[in-house]
Amino acid sequence: MGEEELHQLIRGCIKQDRKCQKMLYKAFYGFSMSICLRYASDRDQAAEVMNQGFFKVFTHIESYDPGRPFKAWLGKIMMNVSIDHYRSNLKMAYTEDLDEAVHISDGNLVDKNLNYNDLLAMVQRLPHAYRTVFNLFAIEGYSHDEIASMLNINAGTSKSNLHKARQKLKQMIFKADSSVNNANYNNGMDYTPIVAIKAVAANGVFLNKGIRE
Amino acid sequence: MNHEKDKELDDFFRNRLQDPVDPVFRENDWGSLEQMLEKTKKPKGIVYWLPYISGAAALLLLFLGWWSFRPKSALQSQTPIAVLPHKPAGPGAPLASNQQPATRNQSASHLAEQGQIAKTAVARNTSNGNSKPSSAGVRDRLPDFAVKNVLHSYPDKQLVAIKQIKKGSNEPAVADREFAMLSIASPKPDFENELASQPVISSHYLPNRQDANLPSQMKPANKTKISSRSAFRPQYALTVLAAPDLNGVGSFQQSKVGTNVGLQFSAGLSKKFSIATGVIYSAKPYLTNFDSYHTLYKFPVTPVNVTADCRMLDIPLNVGYQVYNKHQNRISIGTGLSSYLMLHENYTFNYAASTHSYGYGYTSPTNYTVPHSKSYLMGVFNLNATYERPISSKIDIAVEPYLKLPLTNIGYSQVRLQSTGIAVGLKWNLNSLAKP
Repeated sequence: MGEEELHQLIRGCIKQDRKCQKMLYKAFYGFSMSICLRYASDRDQAAEVMNQGFFKVFTHIESYDPGRPFKAWLGKIMMNVSIDHYRSNLKMAYTEDLDEAVHISDGNLVDKNLNYNDLLAMVQRLPHAYRTVFNLFAIEGYSHDEIASMLNINAGTSKSNLHKARQKLKQMIFKADSSVNNANYNNGMDYTPIVAIKAVAANGVFLNKGIRE
Repeated sequence: MNHEKDKELDDFFRNRLQDPVDPVFRENDWGSLEQMLEKTKKPKGIVYWLPYISGAAALLLLFLGWWSFRPKSALQSQTPIAVLPHKPAGPGAPLASNQQPATRNQSASHLAEQGQIAKTAVARNTSNGNSKPSSAGVRDRLPDFAVKNVLHSYPDKQLVAIKQIKKGSNEPAVADREFAMLSIASPKPDFENELASQPVISSHYLPNRQDANLPSQMKPANKTKISSRSAFRPQYALTVLAAPDLNGVGSFQQSKVGTNVGLQFSAGLSKKFSIATGVIYSAKPYLTNFDSYHTLYKFPVTPVNVTADCRMLDIPLNVGYQVYNKHQNRISIGTGLSSYLMLHENYTFNYAASTHSYGYGYTSPTNYTVPHSKSYLMGVFNLNATYERPISSKIDIAVEPYLKLPLTNIGYSQVRLQSTGIAVGLKWNLNSLAKP
């Protein structure tokens, strides 16, 4: 989608034009979903969270600064609603005691025959608290201090959760590696030709002013 | 070592997860988002516009009321009576002048005026000669019952004359006029008895009114109304209010400003409905053209217009319905009936400078104070819209535009006096007092 087209859509969304909203939604559906999927435990939950994100986008679209990349703004919103979702479900979040640390066989992780869906499924199987911290630290690149303030926990908890998340993931990789046939991780995901979307450089500020409430 | 391995793991996930397989678009997902958007949008729109819609509705209401009462003379001219040729009342009392041989003709013309018969018709016919035939024609269509009303208000001499005529079967003509005059009027009492027992109100040349002798329902509406009530709320509330209003007869074109002060009590019947009543003291001055002023007294000289000063107690009984209640703002609409208890009625007659003294040596009255004012029960229809907002936990401020339309003629002069105004009041919530 060209810049001009995108801005036209955004102008339409500012007027609350339903057609423009749907076009924008469709255009960024994959991108937004890929973020929410990492924070959610399944596709349905991810869709629910993503819709909350788009709802904020459409109701606060006038606060978007056209001078900045739309995708970064959108990605931040998706991350924020995911965190909100986590926080609102804190009661249900549970942590698991780790099994004994599993020794991961030597070898380069990159060589493992694991694709996007395999890894996504592993992340999704993490307990919510671990998953959130892992996403924020390993994938989004936030520091423990930042994560602590985002999640309203202390930095020690963040470190601990990250550690446990890693342990869990290692276990899962080990299991996957040891089984000849990879489990079917298809959680309602279809394999379609990939249009790669560049990761958003989401460094720096993690709070998007005016979007999170 | 460990640290490196961790980093390797993180990078591994990051790199692979950042090349996502695009999830296929699901129409359902959009459907649920659309629902969310619809949900918030609709209420928002309604809530946003409601105060404006209510305000516009209230204004429209006021305007319609004003408008519908405006074309009074046009309405009258459509009545059969309007065609009656007759002399304008100007020239003298019936008996005083010899111009009119038949009393009934004269009285017919007098009545015609009083009945607000089209001025145009009146103006056209200045000769009495024509009046007989047409009045006879009109007569047939008009009920007899009105005769008596007309009769009582005549001065003695006229009364006698009319009586005779009546006995001679000429009554219908009189009836006609009366009918025109009290077009909305009500049941009439027995004619004969009425005649016999009638006191003559004004034997001197004060303007005569039928009122004194007429049964109260037939009385013309003197004037006025003022009432305002404030809004409704859960349970009981007491409102002190004051309202300036505009009073006019038939329209607000010549309106004068009146004053109302009162106390009102309201009780909530449900969340939305409430009833209110109270007592409002009203001073209602108004100005009306003489043709809207109904009297049986024959003015030697026709006044140009009449200025009235009426004081009364307005006792409203209204129901209200709350249409909006958000963010401490409440809007309700209400309707009901008011009763007027007349305390004081005074009429001042204004003449064109050159006509005040008439050639016959009579001078038309300039002032008349009604000795015994009457009450007019449920004679006024109220419409109002109320906006309320709390200014403290117990007290609300209320603003209420209102319109009062006459259902009957009110006052000695039988005018259809309408009022519109805005009441402002403080409403004291009695419930919240009781609780603590």
